[in-house]
Amino acid sequence: MTSSADAALTRLSRDGQTETEDRMLGAHAPARPGAPMRGNLGLARFFAVPGQIVSVLVLVMPLLVALYMSFTDWTPTRGSLLDASFVGFENYSELLIYDSRFLEAVTRTVLISVVCLAFEFTLGLGLAVLFLREFRGKAILFSAFLTPMMILPVVVGYTFWMLFQSNGPINQVIALVAGEGAMPEWFRSAPLAIATVIVTEVWHWTPLFFLILLSGLNAVPENPVRAAVILGASPRQVFWRVVLPMLKPVIIVAFVIRGMEVIKLFDEVFMLTRGGPGTATETISLYIYKLAFNDFQLAYGAAAAFLVLIGTLVIINFMLLPVRDQLLEARR
Amino acid sequence: MSTPKLELVSLHKEFADGSVAAVDGIDLTVAAGETVALLGSSGCGKSTTLNMIVGLEEPTSGDIRIDGRSVIGVPPGRRNVGLVFQDYAVFTSMSVRQNLAFGLAVRGIGRGEITRAVGEVAELLGMSDRLDARAKDLGGSELQRVAIGRTLVTKPDILLLDEPLSNLEAAARLAMRKELRRLQKEAGLTIIYVTHDQVEALSLADRIAVMSAGKIRQVERASAICEWPGHIFVASFMGSPPMNLVRGALRHDGTGLRFVSDGFSLALPEHAAIGANDAAGPVILGIRPEAIRLAPASATTLAARVRLVEPRGPDAVVTLDCARQPLKAVVPAHGRPEEGAEVNIAVDPMTLVLFSGRTDLRLPLRGKEAA
Repeated sequence: MTSSADAALTRLSRDGQTETEDRMLGAHAPARPGAPMRGNLGLARFFAVPGQIVSVLVLVMPLLVALYMSFTDWTPTRGSLLDASFVGFENYSELLIYDSRFLEAVTRTVLISVVCLAFEFTLGLGLAVLFLREFRGKAILFSAFLTPMMILPVVVGYTFWMLFQSNGPINQVIALVAGEGAMPEWFRSAPLAIATVIVTEVWHWTPLFFLILLSGLNAVPENPVRAAVILGASPRQVFWRVVLPMLKPVIIVAFVIRGMEVIKLFDEVFMLTRGGPGTATETISLYIYKLAFNDFQLAYGAAAAFLVLIGTLVIINFMLLPVRDQLLEARR
Repeated sequence: MSTPKLELVSLHKEFADGSVAAVDGIDLTVAAGETVALLGSSGCGKSTTLNMIVGLEEPTSGDIRIDGRSVIGVPPGRRNVGLVFQDYAVFTSMSVRQNLAFGLAVRGIGRGEITRAVGEVAELLGMSDRLDARAKDLGGSELQRVAIGRTLVTKPDILLLDEPLSNLEAAARLAMRKELRRLQKEAGLTIIYVTHDQVEALSLADRIAVMSAGKIRQVERASAICEWPGHIFVASFMGSPPMNLVRGALRHDGTGLRFVSDGFSLALPEHAAIGANDAAGPVILGIRPEAIRLAPASATTLAARVRLVEPRGPDAVVTLDCARQPLKAVVPAHGRPEEGAEVNIAVDPMTLVLFSGRTDLRLPLRGKEAA
């Protein structure tokens, strides 16, 4: 007999032995090595306590401190947070009733978000549908299309800031096509400044929609699509009536992920316009940043942050409503 | 004779990624109102054949004719062929009503006409009270009904079913089998369906086409295919247990032809005659398990030892060792022997089947079949 066959036999017999030993252990001992220590669950929990304490401190404490802070008039120029006077909902009522700059920032952020998401979704879906087919250079284009979202937001911001300069590449192209007189001053007019923000944001994050929708499209079961084709549906009908409804949960999740992010819009705007001209492109994040670090109104800023959190929670849960049951449904 | 509903003419399909032919020259003619089963194990090309008939795949060569007209190049939605998928592929985001209406709605048919047609089909399938249910809340046999109904609404010339019963549990399977039989009669449908389950094939089909390795080995009336398999594959596939197959040769003795194999010898029916060419080559003898009887010892019986007895209720499958040749026999449960017993078996020569060892085809025993 060859040595390898010998080794295999030895292994076989040893395995067999282990199995019987395990069975014997199973009959007599409460736990097998490698299996969860059911008998010692209490001890296991005990060992997990320090880790849980740390996570509570790290995760929950800052939130609680900020929440407390939002009910005070504290600023870092006036001593400790503990000495600050408690003002109840004064910060909140001020923000919601009198602070038109805050309310405008909220409206502006929501509008920019809606426009960005609409463009990103449409472009991402279009690209994803294109990628369902075979064409030359697909692999390279795939990587290329994903690259923007891997670039740091700050870098994207200043790149587009340079592109949109009055003598920058974009204006050079415009001058070539339409003459020098047609060159806009991108950062001097409110609508154009908002447009630069939207263009930058769409360029930066369309890839995420593209990626999520492409994986969603690839996961769409083939047979309902074939069935629709056999029943006489045109490609367009197949897409709108069969594929898109099946894609609905994926689409909604994509909107939720991007929605949460775009509401926090900061870096690109900061690099592009600093919120200007005036406050024409000031987003919520930018306004809160200015409150905290220009005006040292940290308590007021915290209140604004909590209002945004509550608003986001409501919006996101509202968006998830149509697929909530489906996502929470246990696997059968 | 009228034009056949469907003709497959030397149908051939090779996939781009390999030189292996998934479907290797199939000829099949199906008459209007007929039900034909494509029977074979997985990978034998039966699903590819369905896909080509419906138009999801184009054949590499050959022709598909419906009502005498070639449908090569005609898109799937225009062939008027319906396909019901094994996993039903019901549109889960829609209601039952929307599913049933889909085929008409995409063709731009008017609302009144759709309502009428959907109502009719729902009636036929006994789903009138479930029209507003969401498809994702349906159970297996209901899903199948929706899948069939969705196709019937478009009034297809030919209905293709891919493994129609295999995803159903046993009770639903029996009910659905009956239902399909009824539909077949009431709607006068021409049905072709694919299955790997011979009981399903035998119970639903008028004719069965047994497939292996991309070829149709035999097309035969369901009632005859177990009796007279035309190809060695069919013999080894049909029946439970399938036919015993013994390799050997033919010898002439004083009285007539004998089959001889390594200590095993059996007389063929009197007056049996086989072409000299075939008789000289290797042959394979087929002995049906049902044709082997336990009998008192005589000149025509063979001695055998019982290796294994597997009771199946009314009968038992007995594995015998007959001159070192393993044979399976089906005997009545009450007369079954003990394991290890020495028995004598008799085989009715008229039930024997002979295959050529060279072509794997059945050799007609001329003398017998003329009689």
